[in-house]
Amino acid sequence: MIKTIDLKDAVGTKLAHDITEIRPGEFKGAAFHKGHTVCNEDLCHLQKLGKNHLYLIDLEADEIHENEAAAIMAKALAGRGVVWKNEPREGKIGLKADTDGLLAVNVAALAAFNMIDEVMCATMHNHTRVKAGELVAATRAIPLVMKRAPIERAAAIAAQNGGVISVHPLRQGKAGLIITGDEVCHGLIQDRFAPILNRKLIDLGCEVDRVSFAPDDAEIIRRAICSHIERGCDLVLLSGGMSVDPDDVTRKGIRLAGADEVHYGAAALPGAMFLVAYIGQVPLIGVPACGLHHRTTVLDLVLPRILAGEKIGKKELAFLGHGGLCQDCPECTYPHCAFGKGS
Amino acid sequence: MQDFDTLLKKSADAHGHLCPGQVVGVRMAMLGCRLIGLDEPTRIDQIKKLIVIIEMDRCTGDAVAFVTGVKLGRRSLKFIDYGIMAATFINLETQTAFRVISTEEARDLAPVYAPEIPEKYPRQIEAYKRMPDSVLFRVQKVRVDMSEYDLPGPTRKKVSCSRCGQVVRDNREVVQNDFILCKPCAQGAYFREAKEIIWPDMNWTPAQEEDQMFVGKALRHESGK
Ligand SMILES: [Zn+2]
Ligand SMILES: [Zn+2]
Repeated sequence: MIKTIDLKDAVGTKLAHDITEIRPGEFKGAAFHKGHTVCNEDLCHLQKLGKNHLYLIDLEADEIHENEAAAIMAKALAGRGVVWKNEPREGKIGLKADTDGLLAVNVAALAAFNMIDEVMCATMHNHTRVKAGELVAATRAIPLVMKRAPIERAAAIAAQNGGVISVHPLRQGKAGLIITGDEVCHGLIQDRFAPILNRKLIDLGCEVDRVSFAPDDAEIIRRAICSHIERGCDLVLLSGGMSVDPDDVTRKGIRLAGADEVHYGAAALPGAMFLVAYIGQVPLIGVPACGLHHRTTVLDLVLPRILAGEKIGKKELAFLGHGGLCQDCPECTYPHCAFGKGS
Repeated sequence: MQDFDTLLKKSADAHGHLCPGQVVGVRMAMLGCRLIGLDEPTRIDQIKKLIVIIEMDRCTGDAVAFVTGVKLGRRSLKFIDYGIMAATFINLETQTAFRVISTEEARDLAPVYAPEIPEKYPRQIEAYKRMPDSVLFRVQKVRVDMSEYDLPGPTRKKVSCSRCGQVVRDNREVVQNDFILCKPCAQGAYFREAKEIIWPDMNWTPAQEEDQMFVGKALRHESGK
């Protein structure tokens, strides 16, 4: 229960919550901390902050203070790779990445959690690449004092399936590259794909084992795939040959190589002709020609997720649609834009 | 108790269709029974321990009644017309009772839990299967003071209305100025202008026609004697 008392009667009482002070351009933070015992000298300062009344908290047995609530929620929300300190600031607790990796947000559980009136949690977008120590989410209770039951229900919702927010480190893949196309293979035109893919893979912490070139011949492509896998590659990227042109034999080569799952087409632009297939546990990624002309494509959305251990299938490629439209800005600012943020 | 999918199928058959209310009701019943410690509510040794009070006459209510096996005629099913998507599960043996309330949030969360399904009802059906109990329900531990006249078992009291003569069972009569009255006489009824009638084929009985003929012959035989 919260009682209100006049400031003049407050001397000797303990503050129920932090009292924030904002001096524009100078200072923003707690002028007084929760638990501080109000003394005569404080009255003037408190008055200047517009506090003519103070709250006194008298907790009933089934009630809980916002700071305790925040800690219960933070504990439940934090999944693998996420850490937090029980040092609420103005009722708020931040959750931070414990490792470099890819942020995973259980969006449904987050929504269910936030539907409970007394609580809130805000996060960065699902599938964002984060660095260790980076703030990825924050939570707080809305009232200063509330019943314990809704907080515990919110915590139960948050804790199922290992928490709402987790950070998955990217595995250091050993990648094989296959550049397909008669012109490139026969030296008629210079390949520009390999350096681009190489750079992206290295940026994600992968090692590029070997680049091989194959003409538009499904059997040769099949052999190239198999040889990469035999050499121990746990990721194979193929360029070109992803259009509807019947001569585009890359897809056929992928099937011949024994892919047991092939998903062709992604709801993102650029990148509609994207392909993800699996031979056993090894993902094969078919990168369409747009990868040559655009700095950022669907590959940049999907590759980190694969390296974070996510299985990409029809549903994942379809759900890219919302937010999957690149604005083709003159100066690309990805990842600081909406591209890929809707799924 | 049978598994969820089996119960849902049977409940939907009994109810007439598979609807979001069936999913919520089956889960509400499974949770309620679990909370009061009954794992086989329809089995003979548990059937008499259970009372369920349902607060809505909607699809969900049918599913709750089906899964728990409670019945109006056994006095194990009570209907309190609150228009609230909730039911209270009472274990008479342990005197524990839990009121399970279906959350309104679940409706709003359906698109988040089953985003790949565009149509409203199929989406709700799937989403309500995916949501954990913590999202689908709120639960209150409650005390229900149940009159002995509401419990299963033989009729404990019978009186006659002093105005219309109707027999009233189980303490449902009303006493006004020392007169015992039935509720329609005392408080008015849900019906009005009641007038007793005769109707065609008033002498029909479900007994076989042969039996009817036999009865007829016997009567003729008797009168001829
Ligand atoms: Zn129905
Ligand atoms: Zn009467």
